Amino acid sequence: MSQATENMNCTDYKEALTADPGFNDASGHAQTCADCQVFSAEMLALNEKIAAALEIPVPALVMPELPVIETDNVVSLSSRRVVSKPAWFAIAATVLLAAVVGIRMTGMGTSYGTLQEQVLAHVDHEPSALLPSTTPVSDRQLRSAVPNDVASMSHEAGLITYAQSCSINGKDVPHLVMQGARGPITILLMPHEKVAEATTLDGVNIKGIILPVGNGSVAIIGDREEQLDPVKQNVLDSVMWST
Amino acid sequence: MKTNNAMGDRRLKFDRLVAVYYMDMFRYAAWLCRDRSIAEEVVQEALLRAWKSLDALRDDAAAKQWLLTIVRRENARYFERRRLETVDIDNLTASQSALLAEAPNEELNDLREAIYGLDDDYREPLVLQVLMGYSTNEIAELMGLKQGAVLTRLHRARLKLKENAADEVNS
Repeated sequence: MSQATENMNCTDYKEALTADPGFNDASGHAQTCADCQVFSAEMLALNEKIAAALEIPVPALVMPELPVIETDNVVSLSSRRVVSKPAWFAIAATVLLAAVVGIRMTGMGTSYGTLQEQVLAHVDHEPSALLPSTTPVSDRQLRSAVPNDVASMSHEAGLITYAQSCSINGKDVPHLVMQGARGPITILLMPHEKVAEATTLDGVNIKGIILPVGNGSVAIIGDREEQLDPVKQNVLDSVMWST
Repeated sequence: MKTNNAMGDRRLKFDRLVAVYYMDMFRYAAWLCRDRSIAEEVVQEALLRAWKSLDALRDDAAAKQWLLTIVRRENARYFERRRLETVDIDNLTASQSALLAEAPNEELNDLREAIYGLDDDYREPLVLQVLMGYSTNEIAELMGLKQGAVLTRLHRARLKLKENAADEVNS
């Protein structure tokens, strides 16, 4: 059996679809064959039911007793990197930078100005969110913080350890923290904050970006060495308001 | 101090991996062995083995496949040790039945039983494709098969499930 799609007939198409409902019908066979369109719909429906049937309940994790590993020959994960900093340092720096922005704005007697400043100030408001954690928030908490019309966010997106509904410019904003390779990553989903173009956020030890998404925007902030691209993709794939 | 840092980093990395992939590990183990209790044992052994060999994981992007491969091997080891008999679906133990319990409706329950009754050779690639989101190439690599063999097994698995669903409707 192969997935070759040139000169595909009904039998080939049905065989390929039955083996892989997501296969790429490059031949366009189904577009010209009503019977195969019906078959395709049936197979996709069956696949959804199979997926639901396979999702059995999972018991709570019981971590086995992990033996101490001789680390003399183990290279620290931090020191493997050319420029390494412990995650806590990045977190402290993030909070400090945000605090500096907050103090500067307060001292000037102005309200928070740009969206960039508000985002950084908001990070400062909830420093506890930036503690490293391995405990994911519950599904219930995640659903509560992220309404369905804002984003479809699941634990598949990564290890989400903080999820709260916060406020920016008087509008509710889901505030999430995901654990990245270099420490916590802050994500703010802002459906009401339209920006014309992507804006970077640069600090001594942090970096981030505010991305335009439809009539809103998304802010993602992490350690300077964090790879934010996969997070960006996951988050953008999850956002609903632009669709 | 350097040693402590290395240990701390190692544990942090491990905890993150487990937090993200534990559910996949358990479900994969459960559908491999078709027994909740055995799946829990297999996952415990897999976690221990993953912890001991964590330094072998160089690419975090490959973590899921790495962990599932460990689960697969631990499942095989478990059955090598125990030399268990094949499962008789009409005479399940409580732990085996537990895997089929709690389906939200009768249709899903029938389908779950049908998947449970599939041969291992058909059930495993189906789990990897539908539940784990693997491509047929990735399944072939993990199972040590050619892609054509994977496609054939997936095709037969779905045909059997489709036939089973039709039988349920007619009966």
